[in-house]
Amino acid sequence: MKALFAEGIERPQLLLKRKLVLINWPFLLLITAITLVGVAALYSVAGGALEPWASRHVVRYCLGVAFLFAVALSDIRWWLRAAYPLYLVALLMLAAVIIFGVESGGAKRWLGYGEWSFQPSEIMKIALVLALARYYQWLPPDRVSWPHAVLPPLFIIGAPTLLALNQPDLGTAALFGIIGGGLLFLAGVSWIYFIAAVVGVIAVLPHLWEKLHDYQKERVLTLIDPERDPLGSGYHIMQSKIAIGSGGLTGKGYMQGTQAQLNFLPEKHTDFIFTMFSEEMGFIGAAVLLALYLLALLFITYMALRCRSTFPRLVAAGMGLCLFAYVFINVAMVTGLVPVVGLPLPLVSYGGTSMLTMMVGLGFVLNAHVNRDTRIRREELGPFW
Amino acid sequence: MRESDDGQRLRRRFSRRAVLIAGGQAGLFGLLLWRLRQLQILDSSDYRLLSDENRMTMQLVAPARGAIYDRIGRLVAEDRENFRIIVVPAFCKDLKATLAAVSRVVPISAADEDRVVRAARRQSGYFPVLVTEGLTWQQFALLSVLAPQLPGVRTDRATYRHYSHASSMAHVVGYVGMAGKDEVDQDPMMRVPGFRAGRAGIEKSFDRDLRGRPGTIQYEVDAHGRVVRELDATPSVRGKDMVLTIDQELQTIALRRIEGLRVASIVVLDALTGAILVMASFPTFDPNEIALRVNLERWSEVARDKDHPLENRALRGVYPPGSTFKVVTALAGLRAGVITPDETMTCPGGFQFGRHYFRCWKRHGSGIDVHQAIKQSCDFFFYQTVNRLGIDRLAVTARELGLGQIHDIGLVGQKQGIMPDTAWKKKMLHQPWYPGETISCGIGQGYVSATPLQLAVVAARIATGRAVSPYLIAKAAGGAEPAPLGIDPAILDIVRAGMVAVVNEKGGTAVRSALTIPGVQMGGKTGTSQVISAKNRGFLKGWEGETHALFIAFAPVGAPRYAAACVVEHGGSGSHAAAPVMKDVMTELLLRDPAAQPGFAAGSQANASSSVAAAEPPQ
Repeated sequence: MKALFAEGIERPQLLLKRKLVLINWPFLLLITAITLVGVAALYSVAGGALEPWASRHVVRYCLGVAFLFAVALSDIRWWLRAAYPLYLVALLMLAAVIIFGVESGGAKRWLGYGEWSFQPSEIMKIALVLALARYYQWLPPDRVSWPHAVLPPLFIIGAPTLLALNQPDLGTAALFGIIGGGLLFLAGVSWIYFIAAVVGVIAVLPHLWEKLHDYQKERVLTLIDPERDPLGSGYHIMQSKIAIGSGGLTGKGYMQGTQAQLNFLPEKHTDFIFTMFSEEMGFIGAAVLLALYLLALLFITYMALRCRSTFPRLVAAGMGLCLFAYVFINVAMVTGLVPVVGLPLPLVSYGGTSMLTMMVGLGFVLNAHVNRDTRIRREELGPFW
Repeated sequence: MRESDDGQRLRRRFSRRAVLIAGGQAGLFGLLLWRLRQLQILDSSDYRLLSDENRMTMQLVAPARGAIYDRIGRLVAEDRENFRIIVVPAFCKDLKATLAAVSRVVPISAADEDRVVRAARRQSGYFPVLVTEGLTWQQFALLSVLAPQLPGVRTDRATYRHYSHASSMAHVVGYVGMAGKDEVDQDPMMRVPGFRAGRAGIEKSFDRDLRGRPGTIQYEVDAHGRVVRELDATPSVRGKDMVLTIDQELQTIALRRIEGLRVASIVVLDALTGAILVMASFPTFDPNEIALRVNLERWSEVARDKDHPLENRALRGVYPPGSTFKVVTALAGLRAGVITPDETMTCPGGFQFGRHYFRCWKRHGSGIDVHQAIKQSCDFFFYQTVNRLGIDRLAVTARELGLGQIHDIGLVGQKQGIMPDTAWKKKMLHQPWYPGETISCGIGQGYVSATPLQLAVVAARIATGRAVSPYLIAKAAGGAEPAPLGIDPAILDIVRAGMVAVVNEKGGTAVRSALTIPGVQMGGKTGTSQVISAKNRGFLKGWEGETHALFIAFAPVGAPRYAAACVVEHGGSGSHAAAPVMKDVMTELLLRDPAAQPGFAAGSQANASSSVAAAEPPQ
């Protein structure tokens, strides 16, 4: 490894001390602030108690920070090597879910052994970004828009997206799509492909619709318009809108939200936590939280722009796309703009897996930032290894 | 350098596009803010109204469950009216005090109270919880009057499941029960108070069809939970009705006939179509005892009974078929040509194979051809036959006749039985097949085992020569006739003649059970299968060590229409315990001749009763 990269990477050796200086500390502060909002919200959801959620959220965050640092301070060359194998492993696990997966709530998403289980799609979110960044690090810049150079990344994105759709997990599929499409765009692929893709989808969609069975159509329609299914997600969305709306400009006050406490929002501590927060803190509180997220996204964009090499640049940008997709889809979902797909609000929603994924992802952003001046030369990089 | 120029251009392109994307993200966040402004500022007063002054509540209306009919339209399961008390915990000032007030009119058990309190804690307080049901009219009327003074308490008229001819139909129809916690989590419909899900039998297998779709009523309620007005209602949709192939009257007769025995079951098929006319299993239970309110004491008594009344023996009882299996061996032997119709043997009372001596139950002497062998149930003849035939060729014919496989009639838990061959033993026991094991298989002992349903299928296939498959849910008339078996009709004739002789010729093993209806005969085969083997000798004592009594039959002889199998567990010999049961059931069956009657049209009734569905507004 050393022999290959000794000349490939300028300044390959960064001392740990130097790395710590290079870390973007204000960004870390911002993340902590967002998490604290989550802790406060979870404290309120539990009716003013640290148990069962708020205290554990803190513990998980601390664990997440450890992971974040581990990733941020690790050697970037290692990740260049690991990108494809990691992607392959994640893809295999996603496929394995079809066969060995544990079904829960009508969808197979979990791989488990005994008491220990996890969602391979979580690993895939990271692996997808790394694999695409690795690909464009290797691809000579003049070939970025060559048709046969666009095909491999399309496969890299398509395979996990189709597997997620098959679970079925529309939220994750959308997430993969947004991350993948965004990265292709950022990597410099010609506009023509994106325009062609949009035109193609519009052209094919009606034909596809004709081919569907009635019950399949019904399912799709229910997804688009949850009111069609007033017992399922439609009821939750109605309740969520009432809760948010009744919050008004300034909210009902911290721990004063009646709607979220009284009505059945089944996942008010996970997917619907934004509802609860907006009811209690009002439009102003919701806007502040969104502003914090936007600020974090701008930070990430800035860090990506600062990178000299393609790999860290795209890794940072990709993780940014992931964070954005999470926040946007979650908030749009609880406000009734998009169908309920079951994605948490990153750093705020209670949940160990999503917290860990997000912190590892942000660890990669910081890793890219630490390596902002590292120059990786593509000549020394093999197509696969 | 061109490459680095390109690299620079790409980095500039990245910067441009990254800024574009950041702008897009900011724009989409703007969209979210616009949406929040719409909800929280522009329409806020509406939502606040909904939230604070008038809380909306949605009541789920349980759908009527589909009825279950027998083949000619006799009701066997239906919904009946049920007066209930429901409480909406969120509207109660003090749940326990409210329950105490209710219990002054209707006694509430400690278990019920506990259940209500736990349910109230587990789910949203706005979900109604069932307190108690099965009220008398007086209790219902009194509580309806009192209800306005008890915030959160509501009386309503719902339905409960009633089973007619309960104990004879219990194994087929099954029963319903309250949804468990897991089911409630999976399906919000289950939260409808008192909603019942199929727990066994048809009620379970066809639960989705029978269930229907719940309706909803949206109420506007004030802070005390009193209904201000009804906002919107979606009527519930009645579940689908089901029509069984079972003839309830015959089923009851059959059950009454086997009632005196300790454990027994009988299956009767329409031999031409495969429709199951009778599937009775004793001991049985009364699902009505648990339909309205779970009588836990009675229930655990039933569930723990050592004769297992909940088990449907016809599908789940697995028995060595014993001598009834000889018809299979005979067919296989004739087919393979290892015996001819004219060949005669002399039965010395047993068969020496290697160092092992296989006994015949009697010394039959000379002149035993296949006809006599079936009629007198000569073990020796079939030892010889199967020895020449080998297990694998026997297994092929046995499977063609329906053994060793699940005939899926839609009920869960059907047993497969075993039709062994060399491959089976290799796979299951990882051992080679020993020739000595073939011998006892020839008379339906050894590894061979079958359910009464499978034995009835064997009888039906031999009787008609067609690959009849059993079914339990009535089909529309005019279905395709089952395909013929690949067995020479002449060979089938020989075996059938043997079976006719068993019942109707002097010296037949079941000659005492010949039908007494003039001009009508049945053919059959007795079986007495041993439960004691070399392995379990000494462990099974008393009743448990007795032989099983079996009988398979078809009738009428000239043009077989009915095929049946009867098993009396540990009942002694087939000719004494099983054949007389078959005689009586066959007699009733032939006198009524249900196959000749037109079936019940499922559609007519179903359409009339689901007019609610038609009235549903288009969405």
